[in-house]
Amino acid sequence: MKWFRGRSLVDVVGIGLVLAVAVFSLVLLVAPSIIVVVISFDTRAYVTFPPAGFTLRWYKAVFEHGELVEAMLNSLQVGLTVTVLCIVLGVPTALACVRGRFRGTTALSVFVLVPHMVPGIVLGVAVLFAGALVGVSPSIWLQSISITVFIVAVMVRTVQSRLMRLDPALEEAAANLRATPFQSLRTVTFPLLMPAILAGAVFTFVEGFDNLSVAIFTHGFRDRPLPVELLALVQYTSSPIVAAVSGVQIVLAIAALVVVSTSIGLDKVNE
Amino acid sequence: MMQGPAGPSNTVETTAPVLGIGAVGKRFGATRVLQNFTLEVAEGEIVTLLGPSGCGKTTLLRCVAGFWEPNGGTIEIDGQDIVDVPVNRRPVGVVFQSYALFPHLTVARNVGYALRMRNRPRAEVAQRVASVLETVSLTGFENRYPSQLSGGQQQRVAIARVLVMEPRVLLLDEPFNALDAKLRGAMQVELRQLIKRLGLTSIFVTHDQEEALTMSDRIAVMSGGKIEQVASPDEIFDRPATAYVADFIGVSNFWETQAETGHVRLPDGQTVMTDLTGGVKVMTRPHNLRLGPPEAGPWKGTVSFHRNVGPLIEYHVEASDGNVIRVSAMRQERDRPVKDRSQVSLSVIDPASCSVYPG
Repeated sequence: MKWFRGRSLVDVVGIGLVLAVAVFSLVLLVAPSIIVVVISFDTRAYVTFPPAGFTLRWYKAVFEHGELVEAMLNSLQVGLTVTVLCIVLGVPTALACVRGRFRGTTALSVFVLVPHMVPGIVLGVAVLFAGALVGVSPSIWLQSISITVFIVAVMVRTVQSRLMRLDPALEEAAANLRATPFQSLRTVTFPLLMPAILAGAVFTFVEGFDNLSVAIFTHGFRDRPLPVELLALVQYTSSPIVAAVSGVQIVLAIAALVVVSTSIGLDKVNE
Repeated sequence: MMQGPAGPSNTVETTAPVLGIGAVGKRFGATRVLQNFTLEVAEGEIVTLLGPSGCGKTTLLRCVAGFWEPNGGTIEIDGQDIVDVPVNRRPVGVVFQSYALFPHLTVARNVGYALRMRNRPRAEVAQRVASVLETVSLTGFENRYPSQLSGGQQQRVAIARVLVMEPRVLLLDEPFNALDAKLRGAMQVELRQLIKRLGLTSIFVTHDQEEALTMSDRIAVMSGGKIEQVASPDEIFDRPATAYVADFIGVSNFWETQAETGHVRLPDGQTVMTDLTGGVKVMTRPHNLRLGPPEAGPWKGTVSFHRNVGPLIEYHVEASDGNVIRVSAMRQERDRPVKDRSQVSLSVIDPASCSVYPG
């Protein structure tokens, strides 16, 4: 197998590095997931490896654990709220940054990034203190808004990069072909941005569902999101129920990937 | 002989112009891209804006389309000033350099786009789309996507898409750039015939002189935001109004000399009439020159290079005065071309076909 014949040194090193990174990611990402899934079927009531037997009782326990189910629903709500807010705020911002003809488009596109640069914990604490100053207490809404501020940059950037690669002549053509600015947006710009908006929606939903650093300071006292609930759970118990929750999340993540890849294609997410 | 910038030529100006551009200027910051640009286009006429990149030709087209607003001047269609009319209400159709076909829409939906934006009834849209697709010979391609078409077919969709609106003025922005060289020639002839058949008043922008000579009823040669000459392709080629036009179009030989009263003496001893005095530039095309045996005349030179260009032989002759003169001759099958390094003499075939410009 002389695959390196006729290739330059840079190519050989490049292919080697890609392989190394791929193997590394597999080991780091997939192996722990597999271990977690295996543990979630273990019959023993504490976390060990290898498992002693097979049972579904931890999964049953998850769905009988009222607080966990409620936390999952809370996180689902946060995820959806964050996604909707990111679309509503992020897509127009991206349009303004790329197509806007006013001064400060560059400043705007940098400004949007700033909250994402701040560590989540700092942002969470800041929101908590600022909220206390003006009399806003933590709640599921405060949590959703804070995570939106934190993650909206991802939506803006995803849509922005797609928009920058759209031929500006497409919108000019629409205008020339009698479209009003609104018709042009609806019939040309939005359909062509849709893959980027969907990709951004997947990223922002996952962040809303999964975020711990911002959520831990901003979530409502009675509306604990799943990451916070899980953190509490692993602090006080070591039963495979935590592994079972992870198992459920892995299944959901795979389902999301399947939905995205069959509806718009994974290759388009990267575009 | 020298002519001033020629006015509209023989074929036009019996009726009011369809498109009238009056003293249009356009600046970007401190750069003046268009200066006092004036041009009239008659019904059914194809006028080409020809010039190097940066000469302002695309800027003018974008001002007419409404993508940019001129800094002063008027743009009239059928006598109505359209400078303040928004892009989507102007009776113009633009064929873009990139074609700008909507990649997410089929050919039929691309072509019907303008009608749907105007909320025309479905049946009318279907019928007009079918008829326009037939005009551009794309019947049967209704359900293809632009990415499934060849470059030539994409160009025809772009044209069909604007034809369906029945625009008063068609604007074509370098529409052959995206095609490979072999296809270009054929598409130029096809497009010109189509536009003439439909009688569409058109402005065509290009930097390619061959395209301009093929496509146009008149050519406006542009430089630095101004028109150097507007005239028919023949006139532009045979009677270039300025040294710039002569140099830009076709192959030209220039030599500098002094005018005597009323005339200029050519190196071969013949004379050309002129009103100019002092230092002048004389220009003639390669086909207006002839090679002879070295003893035949006073203008001598050495052949430094020759090549076959289809039916022509092109010679480069190093003249004794130091100029390199290009001469072309019809190739006759029985003749042997004059060999490189031969001593020859040069003569002008028709002195009246030489142009004289201020030096």
